[in-house]
Amino acid sequence: MCHRWPPFAKLFAAIAMILAATCVPITHGPLVGIVACVIFFAHTLARIPLAYVGRRLLFFWPTLFLMAISLPLSQAGQKGWLLFVTILVRGTLSFSTALWLVNVMPFDQLLATLRRLRVPDVLLAILSLMYRFLFVLWDELDRMRIARSARLFRKPSLWETWRSAAHLVGRLLIRALDRADRIHGAMLSRGWDGRSRWIEQLREDRP
Amino acid sequence: MHIQDGVLSPVVCAATGAISLGAVGYSVHRLKQSVGDRTIPLTGMMAALVFAGQMVNFPIGAPVSGHLLGGVLAATVVGPWAGCVAMTLVLFVQWALFSDGGLFALGANVLHMAVIGSWGGHAVRLFVQRFIGDSRKGIVVGSVVAAWASVMAAAALFCLEFRLSWPPSEIDFSKVFTLMVSFHSLIGLGEALITGVAISFVLNQRPELISGSRRLSRGSSVETITRTLVAGLVIALTIAAFLSPFASNDADGLEAVLAMLNIDLNFTGSVPGLLEDYDKVPVPFAAWQSIAVSFAGIGGTLAVFVLAWLLGKALPAAPPSLSEAAGE
Repeated sequence: MCHRWPPFAKLFAAIAMILAATCVPITHGPLVGIVACVIFFAHTLARIPLAYVGRRLLFFWPTLFLMAISLPLSQAGQKGWLLFVTILVRGTLSFSTALWLVNVMPFDQLLATLRRLRVPDVLLAILSLMYRFLFVLWDELDRMRIARSARLFRKPSLWETWRSAAHLVGRLLIRALDRADRIHGAMLSRGWDGRSRWIEQLREDRP
Repeated sequence: MHIQDGVLSPVVCAATGAISLGAVGYSVHRLKQSVGDRTIPLTGMMAALVFAGQMVNFPIGAPVSGHLLGGVLAATVVGPWAGCVAMTLVLFVQWALFSDGGLFALGANVLHMAVIGSWGGHAVRLFVQRFIGDSRKGIVVGSVVAAWASVMAAAALFCLEFRLSWPPSEIDFSKVFTLMVSFHSLIGLGEALITGVAISFVLNQRPELISGSRRLSRGSSVETITRTLVAGLVIALTIAAFLSPFASNDADGLEAVLAMLNIDLNFTGSVPGLLEDYDKVPVPFAAWQSIAVSFAGIGGTLAVFVLAWLLGKALPAAPPSLSEAAGE
């Protein structure tokens, strides 16, 4: 049911939850527990599958753990365990809150909300364009990767891997800039004058 | 690289957020001023490219792999203002789509990767280019040095923010910073190598795409002074990164060593493998870790310059048409 909340309510609920998760001192166990319960409740309310959250957390925890464990390790295990736990708990809670927001708030709705928060139009225009072509570039990258591995018959050395990966980025850069030129031409031919126009209310009314 | 929520204190988050907001606001302002209608598709595409480029893995060892950060690359191709905006949007989308990095830590992340990466990287590149010349070699060498310096400057800034976030009694910061700086000098080397190879590739294939350097370096005197200041700031931060481990708080070196030697008594039980190794590190005198960091710094600097020189040599001589193409 969280999905049908007004966009502002969702955004501010998420901000409030992250604020609570990052500000409550870790030594106040019950308070942290309450915040965790509220976040968990929000997840169940939005019917986000627990397995999905778990899978995302499995990807997320190793990096956070590495970051956090470096503190007590650098102190030779003497101090810093409290900080370690703090970072782990706060990181996990704010990550799951952000995950909740990602799931209840489609990206175009987020854009409309940002627009009503008076974020500059230029920024939003660039953002929407970026979001549109992000997946196109990903697909292109995938095709280039497949092409590369299809032509590679042996295990490359480390330097070769690096060089080919950097060339992949360079080639993608050239293609992306060429595509930007084509898009610009297409925009010009449709009457682009440098000002962005938005279809108001279209996303707002949709459930 | 991404800082999660909860690592920095709310006050530090607010301060870095305010600084980043100002810097990004100024970038947007400059972006609006520059000729209008082509910047939007170009910047959007650049942001999408950096996002996709971060997906390309660069293997380091078996389980560890690095990836591009892209601030210097973006600034080299589309200029510092558009580069800063593109990097900011990349960081924002990473939070909004994948909840990567924190919401309150977004300010710090933007400051480290977008502002230092694009503004600082651009300024350092032009600063280096002034000594080498605006040739292709100058661009590649400049961007390699800039990529490395921007990562180290970001590490120094993170150390400062981290130090301000937590009470000094909690942990001994100098050791955390030792770890942080040695880790980031590796990341910086990777970033420098990737950026250098990618830019020299683009220079070989389509030199006209990286044409901003000449036009931009012929700015007004105020701009030149500002750029030199920014470059100086980034270089100072880079140097500060290697000094940060010396910024000890309460415990003096001897105490720290004693603490390290004591660890057998109370800690081997829980995490044997890692800590035993750590314990066996020879500790001839108290300042060993500072010396280790200094060596890492000197070695890293040398490696970057060798790298820059090799990449510069690997480039073919510039065709005569380049200067005209760049001058447009």
